[in-house]
Amino acid sequence: MIREFEEKFGPTLEKKVIAKNKVLYTLMVRREDFINMTKYILNRPNTRLFTMVGMDERNTEESFSVTYWFLDWKAQEVIGIRLYVPEEEPSFPSVGAIHKGAIWFEREVQDLLGLEAEGLPDPRRLILPDDWPEGVYPLREDFQYYHSPMGTRNYPYREPKNNSTVHPMGPYHVALDEPAHFRLFVKGEEIVDVDYRGFYSHRGIEKLARGRLNYNQVIFIAERVCGICGFAHSIAYAQAVEEAAKIEIPDRARYIRTILLEIERLHSHLLWIGVAAHLTGFDTGFMRSWLIREKVMELAERLTGNRKTYGLALVGGVRRDLLDYRKSLILETINKLRGEVNELVDMLLATKSFIKRCEGIGVLSKEKAREWDTAGPLARASGIDYDTRRDLPYAAYDELSFNVPVYKEGDVLARALVRIDEVKESISLLEQAVDAIPGGPVMAEFNEIPSWREGISAVEAPRGENTHYVMTGEINRIYRWRVKAPTYNNLQAVSDMLRGYTIGDAPLIVASIDPCYSCTERVQVVDIESGKAKVISFGGMGTCP
Amino acid sequence: MPITKYYPFEPEQAPLEYRGVPEINPHLCVGCGACVNVCPPDALIKIDDYENGTRKIVLDIGRCIRCARCEEVCPTRAIRLTREFEAASNDRICHVEIVELKLAKCRECGKYVDYTERQLQKVLSLIPPGILEFDRIREKLPLCRECKRLLTVVNATKFEEEMRE
Repeated sequence: MIREFEEKFGPTLEKKVIAKNKVLYTLMVRREDFINMTKYILNRPNTRLFTMVGMDERNTEESFSVTYWFLDWKAQEVIGIRLYVPEEEPSFPSVGAIHKGAIWFEREVQDLLGLEAEGLPDPRRLILPDDWPEGVYPLREDFQYYHSPMGTRNYPYREPKNNSTVHPMGPYHVALDEPAHFRLFVKGEEIVDVDYRGFYSHRGIEKLARGRLNYNQVIFIAERVCGICGFAHSIAYAQAVEEAAKIEIPDRARYIRTILLEIERLHSHLLWIGVAAHLTGFDTGFMRSWLIREKVMELAERLTGNRKTYGLALVGGVRRDLLDYRKSLILETINKLRGEVNELVDMLLATKSFIKRCEGIGVLSKEKAREWDTAGPLARASGIDYDTRRDLPYAAYDELSFNVPVYKEGDVLARALVRIDEVKESISLLEQAVDAIPGGPVMAEFNEIPSWREGISAVEAPRGENTHYVMTGEINRIYRWRVKAPTYNNLQAVSDMLRGYTIGDAPLIVASIDPCYSCTERVQVVDIESGKAKVISFGGMGTCP
Repeated sequence: MPITKYYPFEPEQAPLEYRGVPEINPHLCVGCGACVNVCPPDALIKIDDYENGTRKIVLDIGRCIRCARCEEVCPTRAIRLTREFEAASNDRICHVEIVELKLAKCRECGKYVDYTERQLQKVLSLIPPGILEFDRIREKLPLCRECKRLLTVVNATKFEEEMRE
């Protein structure tokens, strides 16, 4: 992709190589070309909008910037296109107008930095609370992280059209204990349209990382972005910093990271299978699944000191070595697990009520899945053959063999089957990794982190890819840290999945993407009811189901 | 096969590897504040009182995220993560552990300096005796920042005069 792109647009661009196969272009002149470039990239097969980063670079470049990162997963190449947005005229052409997957990114930039995307289809507020005053942009450099202004409460909800009625689902989600507000527009039982207002658990951690933490402290808040795929977030962050600072991590650390990422995938998928069984009224499946999951959690506790694999990663490696007795612990557990998982799957797939509730429900076609840039099991259930572990290898995945399950049906059952297959692949990956783990140190040695370097990395979390972008700042700080969780894309596709189905199916369809609101919304709690705003920097974060 | 346990009537113990509630051993703590520097959620803070000459290291396990960075950096292994995981309490103050240490006094002006007496002892015990003697370090410690600056100037002037002679 990079070669063709350069042949077509090369002369007007300034090029900067971030890493092997990762290039950043800065648009110098002719902003009109920008939309053509994005169109050109997105019209190619196997490309997706990876992430989008808005930055306040007024201190160094005297303007704001937005960077669109694209991935070609067959060529394993990442392209970034940076557009500088002057302070006097803070607007840029919208990609959301031609590519749906960019809408939330641009709404977010509009909220947090005050940069307007011209031609954006839905320019309502996305991230900031309903009572946040107009014209205050928290990610700008002149905004202090502890500041918390008050405004009046106002949000332009969409009103139902064509004789439909509103059926609210939320602000507390029925299936998962997290805040999310779906407004289902219904005609009788049938859902005709959906409006989503979420981001109730936006906590502003990106600002916190800029304002208060040094680069080695950020990793502990990175893993607390999510209560389930925390380790994937911490590894994605660590890899981005390692890429920026050109740190090579030891082989042993790469394998330990792989092992823990797979343990995380195991417990996350088993959790989801349980939740899906519960939502279809099959509570035996739920109990059995969580019983198996408990063993994985206990294994994680023995390996890392925490049931949730927290606190193991640091920039440059891992903190605890995988001692021999821990290796045998893993093997013991997965030997037991294999039989139990097979038993569970047989039981689940032989349950007619489960199959009937899942089959043909919440269908997402391949075209739609592509439009929204969906990721992970949701994309793979809709026939998109994309997995970051294989297509943008990190940790030790390029040295291990595994299959990427892909289904074409695109319904809830296909999503369940993808996850079931992935559980089996994870068990095999764990076995391979424990077998092949090399010796040596677990932590790389490095000096100070250089300033103004950039890194972008993705980790395949259980729900899809976690993309982290990092620009290093001065005195061991991070200048900009951008987290994109898979649910950020997947949640947008839910509106397409709900349309045409009944209210009774809605919880199952929403749950079928395995949404993680706290990942998507990233950390600042504002209590809208009492009108009181408080920034909670650490405790009290929302977690996954 | 019963799965549910009669917890809390039947006590549950976390495995050996578990990272639980941290605990400071006040006999070992020198009050250097290394843990305060690394603590990501500010669960550890350092409060210096130059009037009364005390330094407080305050640990709040309600804020703690059990990452064990403090344990990693502690030079005297004073702070350790225990296997304790039950932190519920009726009183918030049960979550707070305070270690109070004496600040050293400047030998010139008598003001309190920004390190503790134990820190001083620790540093003196770490420096090899040869260097301790050669640089006459014992005479220079403890000095407050101002007196230290003054001493440097005085020594430099002395040195210059000696050179001139």
